[in-house]
Amino acid sequence: MDAPSNLPPSRRRTFLLILAGGLGALLAGAAGWPLLRFLAPASRGGAEQAVSVPRAAVAAGTAHFFQYRGKPAVALQLQPGEYTALSAVCTHLGCVVQWQEATGEFLCPCHGGRFSPAGAVLAGPPPRALEILPVVVDGDQLRIG
Amino acid sequence: MRVLTLIVDFVDRRLGVRELFDKELRGYLLPRNVNVWYTLGAVLLALFGLQILTGILLLIHYVPHADQAFASVQRITNEVPFGWLVRLLHAVGANVIVIALLLHMLSVLFMASYKGRREFTWLSGFGLFNLAMALCLTGYLLPWSQLSFWATTVATEAPGAIPVVGDLAREFLRGGATVGGQTLGRFFALHVVALPLALLGLIGLHLFCVKRRGISPPPFGSDYRSQELPAAFVHEEHRGGIPFFPNYVVKDAAVICFFLALLLGIVFFAPNLFFPPAAFEPADPFVTPPRIKPEWYFLWAYQTLKIFPSELIGLGVQGAFMTLLALLPFLDRGPERRPAKRPIFVTVFFLGLLVFVAISVWGHYS
Repeated sequence: MDAPSNLPPSRRRTFLLILAGGLGALLAGAAGWPLLRFLAPASRGGAEQAVSVPRAAVAAGTAHFFQYRGKPAVALQLQPGEYTALSAVCTHLGCVVQWQEATGEFLCPCHGGRFSPAGAVLAGPPPRALEILPVVVDGDQLRIG
Repeated sequence: MRVLTLIVDFVDRRLGVRELFDKELRGYLLPRNVNVWYTLGAVLLALFGLQILTGILLLIHYVPHADQAFASVQRITNEVPFGWLVRLLHAVGANVIVIALLLHMLSVLFMASYKGRREFTWLSGFGLFNLAMALCLTGYLLPWSQLSFWATTVATEAPGAIPVVGDLAREFLRGGATVGGQTLGRFFALHVVALPLALLGLIGLHLFCVKRRGISPPPFGSDYRSQELPAAFVHEEHRGGIPFFPNYVVKDAAVICFFLALLLGIVFFAPNLFFPPAAFEPADPFVTPPRIKPEWYFLWAYQTLKIFPSELIGLGVQGAFMTLLALLPFLDRGPERRPAKRPIFVTVFFLGLLVFVAISVWGHYS
């Protein structure tokens, strides 16, 4: 039979606590990682790819809204054959701007910010112009981004 | 350690938690011969906790709409990181809960722990069992698979056999003449809000009854004596017993780990144990898959309805059996709890168990 341990009970208790704590941390990690991954924002697979919009959807003088890399964007045909694409997210507080066909400008419905068709700030609180997105005409499609 | 002590000191000065801990956990004594069956309550609490956690996680991605429910569950299983794990823990966990519930109930019956003015404990436990069954039934429909749809159709057909109000009861349950989007809506509300709230309330009542009346000691060993109770309320104490904390908590934790290992074993090595092929096809109200069966714990009820010539008699037999079970502490009033001294009860107990298993197996293969 082994000789009885000379360690005082308090030290044995500390050792057991550290052991239990370590094991608990290991188990918490094993359970926490799937939880973290489950709750993590969805991956933006293909998020950097260009978006195609049919040219026919963007008639002259009108605006066509679409999703661009997870955010709303808008394409315009200012002059026949001359296309522009902008982020539709107001630079003030993130609302989505609306196209005002009568005045030919964008209006943010939240705080009255106004933007030109090229995205420049005309009035209101927005601190910056709307983000301009690169557009390439590719046959009957517009390739944006 | 020092930070932890400081935090506990801070709370203790305001709420006296150390005194509460010493009195309610360290000073809460259980019978010395308490056995492993007594841990099933803690196992069930842990499993219900896991169901609530995984249920909340599933709600983030699940869409309770007939057009999107199946696709959302597929997305959870196949696309959301670790979604398969969360979903399987929830679905398989429900089955493990039913196993633990049945074992808990059977052990209480065998040891006659419902005796000694513990009618409220038994009734609240019986209510919890039925609520858990209702949670299983309502949760089964939510994936909106062929299995969900048709098993629910079969299950909700039964109330139609009740005379006079049968059709009304069935339509009320379904929210329409047949199972459809409206059924999904009401089952979803029941499964996610109404039933869990009722379950939590009833768990509180059950624990209160257990604690207030005192643990019923195992009716085994040479020291055990049947007791005649005084007229007034009495809290059953166990002087010289083992403390709930840490001794009994360690035992609870060990059995909880065993059940979690069982759950994870099924999730990792037999994930489709409870999922027949019809669980992987979207619901089609125009095509009934062949050999559709309810879950294993409803097979006895399903087969009982088929045995009798009329569904009404089958329903009556089920109702009578459940009523008898609910009222057992009011009918079985003798003080004797030792199984060896209750041969008739023990014979009925094992015969009943045998009949339950036999009818379930029959239901599965019929």
